[in-house]
Amino acid sequence: MNRDLERLISLHDLDVMIGDLINKDIRRQEKRLGLSPDDAVTELRKMRDELDSSINRRFRDKYNQLSAHYGNAVVPVVHERCSGCFTQLPTALFASPERNEQVETCPSCGRFIYWAD
Amino acid sequence: MVLANMYAYSILNHKLAEESHLKKQCSHSNWSVSSADRRSAINELLAGAAVSDEARELLTIALETRELAEPTIVHPGIAMPHCRSILVDEISIIIARSENGIPWPKEKVNVIILFISPVKPSGPQQHMELIRHLARYLRDGGAEAVLNAETAAEAAAVLRFNICESE
Repeated sequence: MNRDLERLISLHDLDVMIGDLINKDIRRQEKRLGLSPDDAVTELRKMRDELDSSINRRFRDKYNQLSAHYGNAVVPVVHERCSGCFTQLPTALFASPERNEQVETCPSCGRFIYWAD
Repeated sequence: MVLANMYAYSILNHKLAEESHLKKQCSHSNWSVSSADRRSAINELLAGAAVSDEARELLTIALETRELAEPTIVHPGIAMPHCRSILVDEISIIIARSENGIPWPKEKVNVIILFISPVKPSGPQQHMELIRHLARYLRDGGAEAVLNAETAAEAAAVLRFNICESE
């Protein structure tokens, strides 16, 4: 898998993790388990900054733009469709033997896409 | 290197207690885990999840990142690495036990309850319910019962998971 694509997926998962630990219901349950979500969020934000700075600036800027607009900047391709906007992807895109070997975006919504299978 | 003597099972599609709306078909498989450190243990447990090798590596990174931020030790001897990820499309739960313990890294862990929930447009409700479910059944002696469980089925029963044989 393309390194930038890997980092974009990791950045997305990290953003989801931070978002979950800020969610008041999840925080309450984590505290019931004896965990400290506040401490975890502080550390995760530092790690996010490190990861963010390691990503190609062009992709990073687009990621931040997409996240702000849609809430999710990276989505899997499901049944040959972008799972963000559900648009059917062009044949040339999903038929390529080099899927995930370069950073691709949905021609319709612009989200970063990857193939999970 | 001391190899941990572990048993584990995965519940790829799980079925929670009756009060939950997360009822699903379920399956599980047993395997031995020999990892002696946290990262390799997480990676080895994820071998039971229905994901590609690439996804498994990225999931290991995500779970390890969470552990680096704060070790998810929910009871002495029990760790609960967990996250949501766009790399899975259904909840995966994997439970493993180590007789010798795995350094986590400051405390030794004998039971690992690992789970990953998908990222869905509906939000983290399922994930939150699963955490609440585990919090509920690990209290009031549940954690000790899981630590003392001699079989995967015993541990699953304590946590109110219904498991089926893998296909």
